[in-house]
Formats: sequence, structure tokens, C-alpha cells
Amino acid sequence: MRDLAGIARSDGWDMPFEAMSAVADEDLLAAYAAGDATAARTLTQRLTPRVFGHAMRMLGGDRAEAEDVAQEALLRLWRAAPGWRMGEAKVTTWLYRVTANLCIDRIRRRRSGPDLDSVPEPADETPSAAMGMQQQARAEALQEALDQLPDRQRQAVILRHIEGLANPEIAEIMDIGPRAVESLVARGKKALETALIGRRDELGYEDDD
Amino acid sequence: MNWDTKTMTERKDKSDELFPAGAEGAGLDSFFAAARAEAPQPDGGFLARIEAQALAEQPVARGGAPAVARPRPTGVLRQLREALGGWAGMAGLATACAAGIWIGVSPPDGLTVLWGGDAAALGTIGVDPLSSFDLALMEG
Repeated sequence: MRDLAGIARSDGWDMPFEAMSAVADEDLLAAYAAGDATAARTLTQRLTPRVFGHAMRMLGGDRAEAEDVAQEALLRLWRAAPGWRMGEAKVTTWLYRVTANLCIDRIRRRRSGPDLDSVPEPADETPSAAMGMQQQARAEALQEALDQLPDRQRQAVILRHIEGLANPEIAEIMDIGPRAVESLVARGKKALETALIGRRDELGYEDDD
Repeated sequence: MNWDTKTMTERKDKSDELFPAGAEGAGLDSFFAAARAEAPQPDGGFLARIEAQALAEQPVARGGAPAVARPRPTGVLRQLREALGGWAGMAGLATACAAGIWIGVSPPDGLTVLWGGDAAALGTIGVDPLSSFDLALMEG
């Protein structure tokens, strides 16, 4: 950790990416708590896309709301940094849990309260080629199907198949047993298949070469 | 722990039956792959905001300025009170002190019997049991 602080100060922010990527999140967080500004920037660059992406998927692509959630989750991380217990929970595990809980809170509030902006704006679209468009169409179709799932099923499927986490970590994030994770993922995938099977033609499966 | 990965794999295979692998290698996996490739990215302005917040929340600023958040200072009296068991402990201690002073200044007759001997006949000290000093002590 001290080495990191030394390297960071001598090389500034432009230090080689490999040098920073070798440092674990936990060590960066300790450096952050010790006042290392480079650690603050590295953690921001490394964690924000993951937190934001997870929030986007949980919230059905509402960018403004996902930014709010990501900012809140990271704020909690910065405030937790000084008292962080090394070796207890992975930083990303902690963040996925905080992020998902914030999202689920918002979804529930959205359902119970008056629906001010009922349909979230779709994500920015910059299709470049037919292949890209098809991929984008599939990603959007999946997101639409995910939005129809119960919150916990959606969370489990996203963590397992999009974030690519292993079941034990998902179990820790969701505070349930690994069997329950497996069951949520299986039910979620079944519902996704049902929702997507009718859209195969539309999504270009006939046109694939 | 013993995770049953075999079951998971089997289920995954089953899920592919709905989108047979022969048909363009489809299955839900192609949707998940598309979702990963089309991962939503935060824009530069948002990243800058997060970074500014991270720096603002950092316990020690770059120039070695004092920390933003410090634990509440704990004074000697606070520590003493906590060591004695909070306000309840303090009240008990105060009661015991008052009782001790009362017995010392104006002992009940029964105690004289216990101590015995004229030298210690405390009743002869001649202190008014409810002098203004005592009252002030008790109430203060």
C-alpha cells in the first residue's frame, strides 16, 4: 500500500494502467482512507462503470436514476473506507449489494408512488453496422425481458450471467444461500426464454450467417 | 463449501434447448453476450462528479489538512461516567456517598451498640442531624 502511494505520487495520474490494475480494490481503499488522491481517482475509474452498469440494468435503463444510485452507493463506500475491515468482504461484493438494495428501494417507491415518468428513456443509440444493431437489439430485448422479472430474480440473473459472478459471491451479495441463488437464476432464465422465444425472427436469428 | 456446479451446468444446457445451439449458436447466452458487449457506460461528466465527491469525502486532504471526519472527543468526565456504568451508576454512587456522610455525621443509635465503648459513643458528638449544612449537602 505504501509502495502504491509512492509510485502514485512520483508518476502522477498517468502511471501505467498495469501498475494500478495489479493493486486490489481493498488495498486501494486503504490507500484512499490514508489520503491518497491517486487511489481516489483509480477507485472512481474502476468502480463507477460497474456500479453504474449494474444500476442501469436493475432500473431498466433509466440513466438519471442509475447515476443517482451509483453516486449514493459510492458515497457510502467513501464514508465506509476509514472503518473498512480488511479481508472481510470484497469491495465489489459490498458495492453490488448496496447498489442493488438502493435500486430495489427505488423500484418499490416507483411502484407505490405516482408514476411521474413512466417510461424511461432508452439508452443512447449509436449503431454503426448491421452486426452492431443486431447485438444492440438483442441487448435491448434482454433488458426489456429482465425488466419484467421480479426484482430478486432480475438481480440474480444479472449478477450471474451479465456481471459473470460465481454463485457463492452472489449468495453473499443477496444474503441468501447458494441453493436459493440457483433457484432464482433458473426461474429467471426460464421466464426470459419464454419472453424472448417469440422474438427470435425480429432479433435476426434468421439472418445470421 | 460444496457448490453443486454440475446441476448448474445441466440446467444451463437445458436452457439452450429452447434456442438450439445449432441455430446460430443461440440460446440465452447470445443475449447475455450482447448485453455484456453493450454495457452501459457512465459519461465523462458523471465520472468527474464521482471523482470530485471521492476527493471531497477523503478523510485526509492532499495537502495533509486535518481529516474531515474525526471521532467525537471523549472528555475525562465522559470516560468516568461510562466506566461507572452511565448515569445509573453515577446515581448509585452519589446515593452511597450521601448515606456514608449521613451515617458518619449522625449515626443511628443501633450502630453505637455495635461499635461499643464510650470513646466511640457517637451520640455524644452533639451534631444536629438536620443542620443546614446537612440539608445543603443532601440536596446539592
